[in-house]
This record gives sequence, C-alpha cells and structure tokens, in this order.
Amino acid sequence: MTTTAILAIVAMGLVAVASAVIGSIGVRVARSTSDFLVASRTVGPTANASAISGEYLSAASFLGIAGLILRDGVDALWYPVGYAAGYLALVLFVAAPLRRSGAYTVPDFAEARLRSPVLRMVCTIFVIIIGWLYLLPQLQGAGLTIAIVTSLPSWTGEVAAAVVVVATVLLGGMRSITFVQAFQYWFKFAALALPAVIALVYFVGGDRTFDRPAPPVFTAATTVSIDTDVQLQVRAPVDLTATGLVDGVQRVSASLRWEPGTHTVKADATLDFLAGSPVPIVAGAPVEDADWLTPFPEGRPYGLLATYSLILATFLGTMGLPHVLVRFYTNPDGRAARRTAVVVLALIGAFYMTVTLVGALSRLYTPQLLVSGDTDAAVLLLPSAVLGSSLAGAILGAVVAAGAWAAFLSTSSGLVVSIAGVLSTDLLGTGRVRDFRLSAVLAGAVPLALSLFVTRLDFSEAVALVFAVAASTFCPLLLLGIWWRGLTDRGAIAGVLVGGLLSAGAVGVSLAGIADSSWAGVLLYRPALVSVPAAFLVMVGVSKLTAKRVPADADQVLLQLHAPERLGLSRDRLAERGRPGG
Amino acid sequence: MSTTGERSTGTIYEQVQASPEFADLRSRLRRFVFPMSAAFLAWYLLYVLLASYAPAFMATKVAGNINIGLIFGLLQFVSTFVITTLYVRYANRNIDPAAERLRDRIEGGA
Repeated sequence: MTTTAILAIVAMGLVAVASAVIGSIGVRVARSTSDFLVASRTVGPTANASAISGEYLSAASFLGIAGLILRDGVDALWYPVGYAAGYLALVLFVAAPLRRSGAYTVPDFAEARLRSPVLRMVCTIFVIIIGWLYLLPQLQGAGLTIAIVTSLPSWTGEVAAAVVVVATVLLGGMRSITFVQAFQYWFKFAALALPAVIALVYFVGGDRTFDRPAPPVFTAATTVSIDTDVQLQVRAPVDLTATGLVDGVQRVSASLRWEPGTHTVKADATLDFLAGSPVPIVAGAPVEDADWLTPFPEGRPYGLLATYSLILATFLGTMGLPHVLVRFYTNPDGRAARRTAVVVLALIGAFYMTVTLVGALSRLYTPQLLVSGDTDAAVLLLPSAVLGSSLAGAILGAVVAAGAWAAFLSTSSGLVVSIAGVLSTDLLGTGRVRDFRLSAVLAGAVPLALSLFVTRLDFSEAVALVFAVAASTFCPLLLLGIWWRGLTDRGAIAGVLVGGLLSAGAVGVSLAGIADSSWAGVLLYRPALVSVPAAFLVMVGVSKLTAKRVPADADQVLLQLHAPERLGLSRDRLAERGRPGG
Repeated sequence: MSTTGERSTGTIYEQVQASPEFADLRSRLRRFVFPMSAAFLAWYLLYVLLASYAPAFMATKVAGNINIGLIFGLLQFVSTFVITTLYVRYANRNIDPAAERLRDRIEGGA
C-alpha cells in the first residue's frame, strides 16, 4: 500500500472516530426535536449555519460537482447554483410558516394541516424512499474514495461507510450535536480549499491555460484504466499502447494510432499515452476549451429541456429533503433564522465556488479522467496530480480523502436519523428505543444493499434525481398546504402519489441504465419538468373536486402558520403529542 | 385530537384575522416574496434561453476564453446571495415592525 493510502485510511478513521466520540459524549439518546430547541439556545447563528451547511454538503457536492465541471464545463454550474437556490426557496416560502406550525417533519405537517392518517402514511413512505435514494450516492462516494485512494475494492468503502454511520447514530446520534456538524463543514471546506489554493498557485505560476485551441493534452506519460465501456472522441491522430478490447479487437500491449473519429473501449482495458498526446474525451462532453467554457456547445441536444428541468428540481426539491427541513428548527426565533439563512448561503456559496475552481483546474491536471469517464474522482486526484507523489502530495491527498469522508458521514447520519425516526414512529409502531435501533440498522442496510448492485451514476446526477422526487411530492404539499386553504386530504394524497410515481419511476428507469439521449431519455434523467407540474395540477384538481373535505379548521391552521410568533397561536406539537421514547 | 375544540373557540384567532395589522403584515410579505421569486426564476430561465437561442452572444469572448455565458453563470451565485440579503433586510425593516404592531394590538386589546 502506498504512503497516500496509509495516511488516507488513518485520516478517514480519525474523522469517523472523532465524530462518533464527540457525538456520544455526555449525550443521552438525543434525537427528539426538543433537543434541537435546547441546543439552539446555546448556539449562535454562525455555528448553527455551519452545522446546517455541514449537513447539506454531501458527496454530490464534495466530489460530484467538480467532476461535472471537469466534464461538462459551464453547463454544470447549474448544479451548484440550483443547490444554493433551492435553499433560498426553502427560506422564502416554507421555513417560517413551518416553524410556526410546530411540525418538524413533512408527515407531522401533513397530519397537522389535513388530519389524515392515510396522507401521513404516504408521506412517511416518501420520506423513506427519498432518504434511501439520497443515501445511495453517499455510500457509492465512500466506495469510490476508498477505491481511488487505497486501491481496495469499492464495496469495502461502501460497507465501511454504512457501518460507521449506523454505529454513530446508535451511539447517540450526532444529529443533535450541532458542533460536530459545524466542525465537519469547516473541515470539508479546508480539505477542499487547500488543494484549490495550491493548484491555483501552480496554475498562476505555470504556463498552463484554458485558451488552448485543441483538446487538453497529457502533461506526462499516463496510464488510464477503463472501468466501464466508453466511447471516445478523437480530433487529432493520437498514438497509444492498448491492452483489452479496443475498437472491437482484443489487444495485448498493442501500439495503435487512433485517427480522428469515435473509438470504442470496453471495460477492463488499459490505455497508455505519451506525454504531449491529445486527450481523447468521452462522447457527449465538449472537447475543446472554448466549447467547454460556452453554454450548450453543439452536440448537446435538448440542453434547454434538461437545464430547465434541473433548475426546477433543485429549486423546489431542497425543501422536501428530510434532513434539511429538520435542521432549520435550531433557531430560537424568526430573526435568528433569517440571519442564519444568510450565513448558510454565504458558506454554501463559498464552498461551491471552491468546488467549481477545483473542477476547472482538474481539466488541466487530471485530464485522464476525461478518458475513463470517472470524473467524480477529480477532487481526490488533484493533489497528487499537482504535487506529484511527494510526501506533501500524499498528506494533501489524505486530507482531501478525509474531507470526502466527512461529507458522507455528516449527510448520511442526518439521513439515517431522519429515516429511522419515521420508521420507528410510523411504521414499526411504538417508537421505543429498541425500535429506533432496529430502524437505524434498516435505514442503513437497504441503501447499502442497493449500492452494491446498482450501476453508479455521476454523484451529482444521482442526487439531482432525488431532488426531482422531493420536488414532485413534498414541494407541492408544503407550498399548497401553507399558501392555499382549499387543499384537501384526497387532493394531497393524489398529488403526492402522481408526482412520486412519475418521478420515482423515471429514477428507476435511469438507474437501470435504459434512458437514451432522445427528448424522452432526457426527461427520464430529468423528470421534474413533467412530474412537478403534474403533481401540482392533480393536487389542485382533486382538491377542487373534493372541496367538501376542506378541514373545518383550515382557516385557523393557516392563520397559525402566517401570524407572527409569540402571539400564543403556535404550539409545540411534540408537547401535545407527548412523543413516546424521545 | 383534544386540542381541536380549544382552537376553534379561541377568539384570539378571530381578533388576529380581522385586524388591519394582520392584513398589512400578510400583504407586506406577499408583496416581497412573490414578485422576488418571479424575478429570480425569470433571471435563471432567461440565462438558459439566451444560451439556447443566442449562443453567439453568450460565446462573445471577454478575455481569453472567458465569455459572457461563463460570467453570467458565475453571477447566478451572486444573485442568489443578493436576493437572500435583500429579503433579510426587507424582513427586518418591514415585516418585523408589522408583526410587532400586530402583537401590540392583540396583547394590548386582550
């Protein structure tokens, strides 16, 4: 094992142990929402905002965005912009009224607003589906990190991450520990900013530019291992040595000259390129720097459709993510909540700008990822690409790997607690602690099993699919529930089901790898443009048809949502319900 | 649920609902939130439209390969942050005082 591998394993282990230990010290099983409120009185807006950002920035943010920037260039900016904007939508439309409702989860809100146990159950099921789908790329990210840094098989990383997360939650749940999450934000940010700054210094001091008229070139002799079948675009003739199934012929250390055109390489092949060779680039990605820096370069069909759908999903989906919504209650009042929101957007924005920079620089330093298509590894490989295999490079690589690990842990444990919470209170019955433990194990085991068998999409794309499901189910429910008195239980159930089935069905088809590049295929990858309006229309339409079922107290509940706090109208639903086992 | 009856009898709800201060508070909030969201989304969608239908404009080079499309793209981050800051300032200046007036009326009148 290399120095980097050993250092990285030690660093990742330290992050896991530190989080678990801080999370369990002196804390009783702290997962009820009143613990959030208690915590909020001792924590300032900055620490609180760090914690919210720490939980929000997942593997998709840490690894995925840089990878998409590396491959797709300026068009990939929509992912980070959308993730940040979704947070703004949450603040503008949902955060304050939901706070006043006293409901801490979507199922709680649905029950308080429409008094329907069936709707509550439907919401519970979608919390679990969304949570599991969101956990999937987190675990796969852990797998990729382990595979890249240590050369162990990726399932070891997936299993290790699932075990660590579930164990941490069982030990006491770092959910309530605002400082752990806050620490993880700053750790992630440092682990990303450090290589970004170093690479930037090398870039400014070096002679590499983004103004090349031709494709990127390999700066040193490079061996590329192909893990999945790829089609490569070649613009200028390139000499290489290939082993494996290349262009339909089985080769062993064969010297080839690729003429301009498209070349096919099957999985498990190895390609060796000389220094100075132009980089063949996976089909569908822009080849030249000028195209890479221009929105919608030619050869990307249905860019408008895909981007609108992505914007809709990220803008409206954030409010439906179970772990994001709950976090927002850690504010003592509306004013502090707003101050927190500004700090969160500044923190998230700074992080995304840094990720974008890393992604852009990786086009200069790790172009081999454009051949293998494994662009999610860009952040992990940048340190050694810039600093070489020196000790400094190894240490930096280890820090980055540990930062990635912090990203999976914080988001995953938030998700596991959210899923386990609804599993134990709504599905397994009584919500006793034993049920919670069983639920936590279940919450981690199912996505782990999925991650071992499902093909890996690019992380940011996989997460965008989950945002689409959230935007098609909980967003209409929350927006209409908060702003429209005519909503009925039947309407809500029908809308959530239609939006959920359309979007989750599309996700399933995408995960199965069936979608192509026609407009229908684009909509399968980006279903929000269809499924969100469908959910809204069905919800409004069925509500109108069942207008007699508008709850008698709808006006009062709406008033409670929109009247300011401290009028004695809001109440803590937990105090009312006397939550068992909490 | 036992609280339902208690809720429906509370005259404080009627007081709040009927008060001009509450109407004022609601309209202040809506006057900001809805137009701002519309403007915000329109700015996003405009970018995508321009990228689709005016590629030559978006590809106009400013310095090296840095083009207008890239600069607009990065400005999306800035605009998100600016809108949040505007909202917070608006809420602190216009919504909180309105809420305060409502509170004074209810607590003073009750």
